[in-house]
Amino acid sequence: MMTSQSTIPATKGSFADGMRLPRTVKVRGLNHYFGDGELRKQALFNNHLEVRRGEIVIMTGPSGSGKTTLLTLIGTLRTVQEGSLNVLGNELLGASTDLIVRIRREMGFIFQAHNLFESLTAYQNVNMAAELLKIDPMIADGRIKSLLTRLGLGERIHYKPKSLSGGQKQRVAIARGLVHKPKLILADEPTAALDEKSGREVVTLFQELARDEGCTIIMVTHDNRILDVADRIVNMVDGYITSDVDVQEASVICEFLMEIPLFSDLNADSLSKIADQMMVHEAREGDRVIRQGDPGDLFYLIRSGSVDVIVDDGDQSTKVAELRQGQYFGEAALIHDEPRNASIVAREDSVFYALEKVDFRDVLEKSATFEQQLRQALFNRQ
Amino acid sequence: MKTPLAWKNLTHNRVRTAIGVAGVGFAVILIFMQMGFKGAIRKTATQIYDALEFDLMLRSPAYLHLTEPRSFPRSRIHQAASLPEVTQVRPFYLGLSEWQAPVLHGSAQAKVSDEVLQRAGQWRGIITMGTNPNDPVFVREDIRQEARKLTDSRFVIVDDKSKAEYGPTNGDRFSEADIGVKTSLGPHRVQIVGLFRLGTGMASNGACLTSPEGYVRACPWQTIDEINFGLLKLENPDAADQVKSQLQQIYGIPERPPGEDINYSAASLTNSDVEILTRDEVKAVEEYRWVVDTPLGQIFTMGVWVAMFVGVAIVYQVLSTDIANMMGEYATLKAMGYSNRYLTVVVLQQSVMLAIVGYIPSIAISRFLYWFVERESGMPMFMTPRIIVTVLLLAIAICVVSGMAALRKLYQADPADLF
Repeated sequence: MMTSQSTIPATKGSFADGMRLPRTVKVRGLNHYFGDGELRKQALFNNHLEVRRGEIVIMTGPSGSGKTTLLTLIGTLRTVQEGSLNVLGNELLGASTDLIVRIRREMGFIFQAHNLFESLTAYQNVNMAAELLKIDPMIADGRIKSLLTRLGLGERIHYKPKSLSGGQKQRVAIARGLVHKPKLILADEPTAALDEKSGREVVTLFQELARDEGCTIIMVTHDNRILDVADRIVNMVDGYITSDVDVQEASVICEFLMEIPLFSDLNADSLSKIADQMMVHEAREGDRVIRQGDPGDLFYLIRSGSVDVIVDDGDQSTKVAELRQGQYFGEAALIHDEPRNASIVAREDSVFYALEKVDFRDVLEKSATFEQQLRQALFNRQ
Repeated sequence: MKTPLAWKNLTHNRVRTAIGVAGVGFAVILIFMQMGFKGAIRKTATQIYDALEFDLMLRSPAYLHLTEPRSFPRSRIHQAASLPEVTQVRPFYLGLSEWQAPVLHGSAQAKVSDEVLQRAGQWRGIITMGTNPNDPVFVREDIRQEARKLTDSRFVIVDDKSKAEYGPTNGDRFSEADIGVKTSLGPHRVQIVGLFRLGTGMASNGACLTSPEGYVRACPWQTIDEINFGLLKLENPDAADQVKSQLQQIYGIPERPPGEDINYSAASLTNSDVEILTRDEVKAVEEYRWVVDTPLGQIFTMGVWVAMFVGVAIVYQVLSTDIANMMGEYATLKAMGYSNRYLTVVVLQQSVMLAIVGYIPSIAISRFLYWFVERESGMPMFMTPRIIVTVLLLAIAICVVSGMAALRKLYQADPADLF
């Protein structure tokens, strides 16, 4: 039986933490165009993206790369034209105005421009969001005050925007985007106008919301001071998502790789490049991942589950080893260009990250001592 | 309580709101004045009739309007008196004569201002009325009392609402100080013996009352046997229509086919020298004459439209600038999930508030202007509840229309532009 192969990169993290967690945002085959007729220009090309509940996503890319377009589409602020976009369980393609208004109320927006009503105080501006959801005024009152205080505006709760600095206004706008405990926060350069300290406070607040409330946050930012809070970093160029990396998963993979003597002298950069090349393979219990005697084309790292290594000497099959999470197999055939010297059978439902022979060889050439180590490793195994 | 966004926006930008309030106020005052004028015309047209005591009126079929009534033989009213239903018939004389502002002599001259001296001797058209001093045709007791003083054909009493150009001693209005003053009315000398207050009309800025003999002295083209109005009092005022048709038979006036409305045309088509009208008909014909037949009423109706147009233009400007300045904020509200309906309500609230805030001072200013115009022109300016409510509704209409126009801009607020 064949293992099921996919085109999902390992670093996307789709298979981390078990199989399926709720997805706040699911983008499939999304295209978007601006203009009409002759002037029609495609801004997004076949975008795929999945964002888990509670994830903090940072979107980067040069200006004009389509990240803002994607953000406004997710935020229901633009009409979906082609493809599928599912937000908070609702398909946005062809969604009614009523549905869109309803979805918007579950989201929090933080725009680059603060857009506060000059006629309202900080408190009242924030309250505009609370009122819309008909939050009990007592609860809303407490929440508004604690949010503003938290954001360093405790003294200025009843000030009008005119008496606030740019950064303070931005923080009021952030409070307005958070006060109604949205399930999804979309932010555009939320920290650009803030100093280091208040920027840090804002991202800490994001992290708490993500952790405690399961709030999903997608932000466009070029502020590398806050990259550390990202669970996922999405990079866009010219309307394509060029990389979509689950930071946690990427580091797990790197750690696994680092444990492998083959790769132990590679630096973090090379390791993460290897991680980027790996694709997800799934196997059910009892599936034969590798058949002895087949030509070797992939190197496997076990992400979850376990496998038996079975050698068939012609008469009988002997289980020679059992491999589990973090361990690897399939390297020997690639190094020596030989057929597989053993079969691998999944002991349980398992996930592997596989590296193509070409890429594997590429790494091998980069590492001067690689072959040396490999030989050592192979020797140790026997 | 909900954040009163509309109110906050209004109170925040005081300058712009002040312009809006001024715009609404300007329009409101204009409308008030136009309506006041129109009401004054209506009132002026009929105020003398309103002061007369009658259930049915006889007058010439050639009647044009109050100060151009034409005349008919006095004997006609005696014919009417033959009906038992008619309890009283009285002739009433009314026409335009000429009044000379009194020329003062001797010591009296020293007491008056230069203005009065300059006016002295000038001639003005004046409404001259003639009634029997022993049985004046007026309803109001104060006028009846004064009219009793007209025991001589040389005596007149003057309306103290007559303008200053008629030469009152104090330079403003006729008062007790003018009693005893002598001047000319038409070709003859008269003496002021009293005052009354009725108000003047469109045709003239002054009015005086004298006896029938005094009237023919003032209007020598008319004889005492040619009267302008015959005023009939009936035993049962409610039976006016029935008595009217009885009289029409007596005078040989053909019955108007049923269903045909009052004849508003200047001259009746009958060959009779008299026509009969009920009180309501008199009033309706006169109002129609002034408000519809002449351009006067239409001018003021047009004035209301112009005022509304000006109001809409100003308020639209204020509201749309306000919206344009807050496009980002409104777009943010849309992104947050506020519906277009909410935004519509905010803008319309803002409009109505502007209307009301503009209306309140304007009604006070208009009241003053009514008083001022009435004092200066003698036109009876009344701020009736009907006018007060109508103008308020029009003010709100102005603002709502402007608000609607401004809303189109708001609907264009696109939250996608915010990122």
